[in-house]
Amino acid sequence: MKKGFLVLESGDVFEGITLSEQSHFPEKAGEVVFNTSHSGYEEIATDPSYFSQIIVMTAPMQGNYGVDAKVWESEKMWIQGFVCVQMQNTKRENTWSQLLIENKVPILTEVDTRRLVITLRSQGTPWGAIVAAENAETAKQKAVGLIAEQKKLDNDWVHLCSRSKIEDRKGLKPNGPRVAVLDFGAKENILRELVLRTSAIRIFPARTDVKVIEDWKPDSIMLTNGPGDPAAVKIAPDTIRQLLGRIPVFGICMGHQVLSLALGAKTYKMKFGHRGANHPIRDELLNKIYMSSQNHGYAVQAETLPVDVLVTQRNLNDQTVAGFYSKKLNCLGIQYHPESRPGPHEATQLFDFFINEMHPATTKGNKSYEL
Amino acid sequence: MPKLLNLKRILIIGSGPIQIGQACEFDYSGTQACKALMSEGYEVILVNSNPATIMTDPEIATRTYIEPLKFDYLKKIIELEKPDALIPTLGGQTALNLALELDKKGVLKENNVQMLGATPTIIEAAEDREKFRSILDELSAKYPKSEMVKNFEQGLKAADILGYPLILRPNYTLGGGGGGIAYTPEEYKTMLVQALHESPTSEVLVEESILGWKEFELEVMRDQAGTFVVVCSIENFDPCGVHTGDSITVAPQQTLTDEQYQAMRDEACKIINKVGIQTGGANIQFAVHPTTGERVVIEMNPRVSRSSALASKATGFPIAKIAALLAVGYNLDELKNDITKVTPTCYEPALDYVVVKIPRFAFEKFQGSKDLLTTQMKSVGEVMSMGRTFQESLMKALAALEMSSEAIPDIHFSLEKISYPNSQRIWHIFQAFRHGLSIDQIHDLTKIHHWFLEQIHSLVAFEAQIKKNDLTDQNLRQAKKYGFTDARIAKLKNKTPLAIANLRNEWKIKPSYLQVDTCAAEFLSSTPYFYSTYWSASDFQPPTKKIVAVIGSGPNRIGQGIEFDYSCVRGVKALQKLGYQVAMINSNPETVSTDYDTSDFLFFEPLTEESIVEIFEQIKPVGFIAQLGGQTPISLAAGLVKKGYNLLGSSLDSLDQAEDRNQFSKICRKLNLRIPQSAMAGSIEDALKNEQLVGYPMICRPSYVIGGRRMEVIENQAELHSYFERHYDFISAQNPCMMDQFLSGALECDVDLVRGPGWIVMGGIVEHIEAAGVHSGDSMGVVPPQRLKFDTLQKIEKMSQELAEKMNILGHLNLQLAIKDDEIFVLEANPRSSRSVPFLAKATSIPLVDLGIAAQMSIQLSPEQVASYRWADLKQICVKGVVFPFKKFAESDSILGPEMKSTGETMGRATTYSEALVKAFVSSSLNLPAHGEVFLSLRDKDKTPLLPLFKNLQNMGYKFSATRGTADYLGQNGVECLALNKVHEGRPNCVDRIRSGQVNFVINTTSGRQSLEASFDIRRACTDYSIPCLTESDAAEAFVMALEKSKTGRIEVSHIT
Repeated sequence: MKKGFLVLESGDVFEGITLSEQSHFPEKAGEVVFNTSHSGYEEIATDPSYFSQIIVMTAPMQGNYGVDAKVWESEKMWIQGFVCVQMQNTKRENTWSQLLIENKVPILTEVDTRRLVITLRSQGTPWGAIVAAENAETAKQKAVGLIAEQKKLDNDWVHLCSRSKIEDRKGLKPNGPRVAVLDFGAKENILRELVLRTSAIRIFPARTDVKVIEDWKPDSIMLTNGPGDPAAVKIAPDTIRQLLGRIPVFGICMGHQVLSLALGAKTYKMKFGHRGANHPIRDELLNKIYMSSQNHGYAVQAETLPVDVLVTQRNLNDQTVAGFYSKKLNCLGIQYHPESRPGPHEATQLFDFFINEMHPATTKGNKSYEL
Repeated sequence: MPKLLNLKRILIIGSGPIQIGQACEFDYSGTQACKALMSEGYEVILVNSNPATIMTDPEIATRTYIEPLKFDYLKKIIELEKPDALIPTLGGQTALNLALELDKKGVLKENNVQMLGATPTIIEAAEDREKFRSILDELSAKYPKSEMVKNFEQGLKAADILGYPLILRPNYTLGGGGGGIAYTPEEYKTMLVQALHESPTSEVLVEESILGWKEFELEVMRDQAGTFVVVCSIENFDPCGVHTGDSITVAPQQTLTDEQYQAMRDEACKIINKVGIQTGGANIQFAVHPTTGERVVIEMNPRVSRSSALASKATGFPIAKIAALLAVGYNLDELKNDITKVTPTCYEPALDYVVVKIPRFAFEKFQGSKDLLTTQMKSVGEVMSMGRTFQESLMKALAALEMSSEAIPDIHFSLEKISYPNSQRIWHIFQAFRHGLSIDQIHDLTKIHHWFLEQIHSLVAFEAQIKKNDLTDQNLRQAKKYGFTDARIAKLKNKTPLAIANLRNEWKIKPSYLQVDTCAAEFLSSTPYFYSTYWSASDFQPPTKKIVAVIGSGPNRIGQGIEFDYSCVRGVKALQKLGYQVAMINSNPETVSTDYDTSDFLFFEPLTEESIVEIFEQIKPVGFIAQLGGQTPISLAAGLVKKGYNLLGSSLDSLDQAEDRNQFSKICRKLNLRIPQSAMAGSIEDALKNEQLVGYPMICRPSYVIGGRRMEVIENQAELHSYFERHYDFISAQNPCMMDQFLSGALECDVDLVRGPGWIVMGGIVEHIEAAGVHSGDSMGVVPPQRLKFDTLQKIEKMSQELAEKMNILGHLNLQLAIKDDEIFVLEANPRSSRSVPFLAKATSIPLVDLGIAAQMSIQLSPEQVASYRWADLKQICVKGVVFPFKKFAESDSILGPEMKSTGETMGRATTYSEALVKAFVSSSLNLPAHGEVFLSLRDKDKTPLLPLFKNLQNMGYKFSATRGTADYLGQNGVECLALNKVHEGRPNCVDRIRSGQVNFVINTTSGRQSLEASFDIRRACTDYSIPCLTESDAAEAFVMALEKSKTGRIEVSHIT
């Protein structure tokens, strides 16, 4: 058992231990965020929205139920570190810790995550680094460099996480619409939900020229989730602006934020964001209140949205904008994750809303599909 | 939706006496709901027959009726009070079934009473297994294959279809009552008869076994807008086959993937919607196949429950309170989260800790019944603990059981004890790992999920390390993180617990106190609800005001239950009124005392010296109260005083004088008070020397055997010889036999008083109905006394007060007295609040606990104040009824004796003694048959004295049957009586007659061991078929008095004042 440290930019240091199996300890830096979901560690680690982030799980015990490649939300792990109280490292065929180690994700356990979360809650989302060291001083020295280096990343994280090539998938509804997907770092389950409801989807890299998208003659466009600051996203806002009003637009998370920018609204960095599976949403489109899966550090300023765009979803914990809809412009933005994974499924119906309510009758596909 | 404005008056039904499967968790939920509704401005009418509850305290509801939870009484109350609505979901199965009956018989409709929270259709959809299954079919939810069986023949067919083992689940019973697992056709047939009998609708679901599957429970809530939340997911440590109330459980669930969990959550939501629950809480149980992940629904309860109390304590989400508010029209988003104060109640708590619940059992009380856990609940209480990891939490919970300070002591290991579920299995698993057995071996025997076994295995592996290596700062710190108690570490290192505590202080290895905040620290919260851990820095802010600590009573057990929680909660409130901040410490999740808004600081911690000292170091109390939580805090007092903490009220010396037999005898002698003679004898020679001193009859018992086993009443020298011969192996100079004078035929009574500085208030004298020899907790009682003479009562008052003075009591004193031939014998003194305190407080309206606090805080009372408390000025006669769990323990004997076996009590209040008796019997579910056959089996000496009673019964129209001797005697004395065969005289015999339903009640008195054994089958048949069986002549007289009264058919009710 060697000591490891999570060093925050502010100078706060949290001690933990590194696993002996991870003897070549990959020291990494990133934004430090916490997630309050009880389950779903594997989905979280493979969600591109966590790009360049060190994830702190508030549920103390992690790795309890092993791993399963089927639940991966993308083709790789994106997190810069995994922090918890106790890692279940018992010998099973394939353990969570082993998988993290294979993917060179630093694991720090036996951390006072509660203190850490309270620090994150009061400091906002700081940068930090996980390092192996003998003591806090050495750790701090190591961390400074790592953090500085990581911060050199291009600030358009969406571009860094988006696919570089166009990808086609066949839909399961032969009469359903053709949906273009602008990939900001898409979670696999958004694509799965679309495949269930469409005849075809084509996934475009984030900076794809609008002409290329139009050439495919999509019935609508989906803007996916993705990491980082929406204001730093290049090209996509213009692309969306040119499609708005012409075809239905549905944005989730980063997609929702970039859509708001395309509409002329502003986004802001939240103090420490929302990450978990228990946030209540009042949804005026589906006309119900439900629990949602959350992962975002930025939000849309309600008052900057155009008058014909209505805020239709609110996060009931803090009344932040959780979604908006414009019938006139035929666009829908949802800040949280109707595709869940991890988290509750109630908001899945928003995909149905997108298909049934936002597409003209000719492209709706299955007309008997009910909300 | 705002609250319903058309409602003014709401009726809430409690759950009645504490019984296995329905305990003080319903006091917690009912109290919470009443408080919530009262603060919304509703008038709350409360009915509960259990006087030991907080909810029946006068200020909890607008009007409180301590009346039987039976149709006739509820009907009367409804007609009297004309409530606008009834909430049936807060009083367990009792309230639910009663509400259904009131609806079916038209009472609700006639009186325009609306049912809130659940309608009859919904209750039936969830509770009627056939209806529930058709709902599951519509949702394509799976469930174990099963057949609904309405008679024996159908049952046999079902077994052929389903194959063994089989699970039997009778409809509409609580705690899986009457159910079980049958492995063989023989077992199945016996159980089937029983199960059909237990179900009020004579329906039993016979189900294929899913033994070995993982079991889960979701506590869910829904409002009328359809908002749905899962408050808590709970996973059972024991796989399917053990009732969830008897299983070790953990929250939140630990071994499901997000995909599996969300699918379960979705299904729960669909089920609750389909069943039609508009508002409120429910729990749904699932089983998941350990490898395939296949999921089936086991059952659902459309009401708050034991597990919802657990979930509330585990998460900080007050389910019952919210359920009550939803029932009157609020929606989840309109209510604020009490804990964060900023976020709404529509959320799912996020836990950054792990909660473990462990049940506590009482098999040792029920000789003959096997320590075997099945689908029928048998535990009598539970502890909950919180830690940052499962291991820390499990170890804390094991310590909280108060069975061993080591929590995981070395035991004599038995593989057999691992191979089937039983109350000791967890310790045998620890021991098995110490002996080197593998996780796979244990898994094969138990089917307990690997994950849980791995946790225990690594604890044991660490234990071995500690044993082998020197203690260092590092490994001691690790040991504490794992949850090892100081006492266990001390044992491993051959040191004292104090030495370990000192080491910890030196190395600054101290627990921290973290908040239960519902949100894993995502939001700021200020609720002072804490648990300890060695994994994190503290959230705790030291209090500003003077703080008094109240030590609770820990897990419910037979002999220490809800009545002590009543005292604690009242005590907390009384201290607050005096301007103190109060810290409550307790480990029992079922209680009101562990509600986060009962005290100023709640520490959910084991009641061990180690954990309390650590808390005291943090809160630095001006003193602590040990008189309210029963024997647990009394036992802890000395250790805490030694550590320098201030015991409030009676000093340690006073406590010792009461607890130490020798000191107590001395005091009594000084005051010229009589105590039963007693002596110790290591051999028959010793015994014969003391024979004269003690005198016959005497009670003999080996001193080290607990639980009253081998305890016998010895009538003469021949029996004394025989006793020593038979129990030769258990008696020696080291383990002498205790010989106590037996005051046969004496009247017993309980006295409660409070003594303050310069004042004494008598709480009252409860006269026992059964004669001496029956434990005071098991005997019925009445206040004011009916048989004791006025001057005897005065003598009792005087001597009790003298005794309190002499012992220098400050606070409560409870005395057990026996009165024989007008002479008073002191049997026992308890320097604390007692079981009879809440009963007396309700009966007399004297705020005994508040006075006790005043005394313990050395407050002066004026003579006028003292004089205003007059216990004997009662408008109503109050009879205490008693409830026993014999039915749950197959093969256990219902005979009463010096060891307490009852789980709960009831109160019958009326203007006449006989009416009060009727209510006490009815409340305790002893039916009063209006006619029919009485079976008699009597010891010789009772025959003549009871003759007038039988004549009376004959005049009332009852018929008699008896075994030949008794029948002849009655016949000769003018009482017509059918003669039956004894059990060994061939069939049909008397037991056959009872079992075939031809007998309506039984009077069975016995003496001596042989006649006890001979009549066991008679009593057991009565237990199995819920036939009243009176085993004591005074109780029989009381019963007949009640029968006579009940024939008048008059139902009177009145609320307490």
